[in-house]
Amino acid sequence: MAIYIQKELFEVEKIISNIRKNKPLIGAIVSFIGYVREFNGNDIKVKKLKQMDLEHYPGMTEKELMRIELNAKSRWDLEDVCIIHRVGKLLPSEPIVAVIVASQHRKNAFEACEFIIDFLKTDAPFWKKEISDQDQLWVQDSSEDYKRKNNWGIKK
Amino acid sequence: MKINILFFAAIREEFGINKKSIEISKSENSPYKLINSLSKKEQGSWIMLLNKKDSVRVAINQEICDWNEQLNDGDELAFFPPITGG
Repeated sequence: MAIYIQKELFEVEKIISNIRKNKPLIGAIVSFIGYVREFNGNDIKVKKLKQMDLEHYPGMTEKELMRIELNAKSRWDLEDVCIIHRVGKLLPSEPIVAVIVASQHRKNAFEACEFIIDFLKTDAPFWKKEISDQDQLWVQDSSEDYKRKNNWGIKK
Repeated sequence: MKINILFFAAIREEFGINKKSIEISKSENSPYKLINSLSKKEQGSWIMLLNKKDSVRVAINQEICDWNEQLNDGDELAFFPPITGG
């Protein structure tokens, strides 16, 4: 299991080949990658994103992500889990986050990957600020994210 | 007793600082009692924090907690807006 909080870009292919090294039992890898969108929602003609600033709570972030990984591991039979989340200044179309889950068969990896990103969205202390050609706004939390998390039926 | 307070994101910007170490009395030994007291003593951003309390998350020693959780000497108290990562 691994957690990386970093400013630098990451390469999913490299992480996957590291995960697969010396693990012949892995039969499935599912990855979720979140990217910075250049335009937000319906604002396509109005606002163009220039930069996204990502802030986090060092220490608590790692603890929360570790808790989410452990919860996923106790719920599904997994061979490995890796979460990478970037912080600092991000540019449009760059990756923000990757959740990579390895298991023997696809079902566990699919479900656990969705579980991890759903909990990351509401429990891991990261905050996004969108800097557009017009203004600088902190992103608001979404009720959809809480709904998705609550659908898993556990609090933490 | 002495505690460390951390501020993040929009709340950090509102306070203009990211951390503060303060001495608190026994009557201020919960996040709610503390901001209630500081909003009277120091006013400024503490009043904003008190007013926005329902949309502010609070954590003690890096665990999200209730506004009435007890504060102890040496605790790390953090105030932040709802999480928006991923």
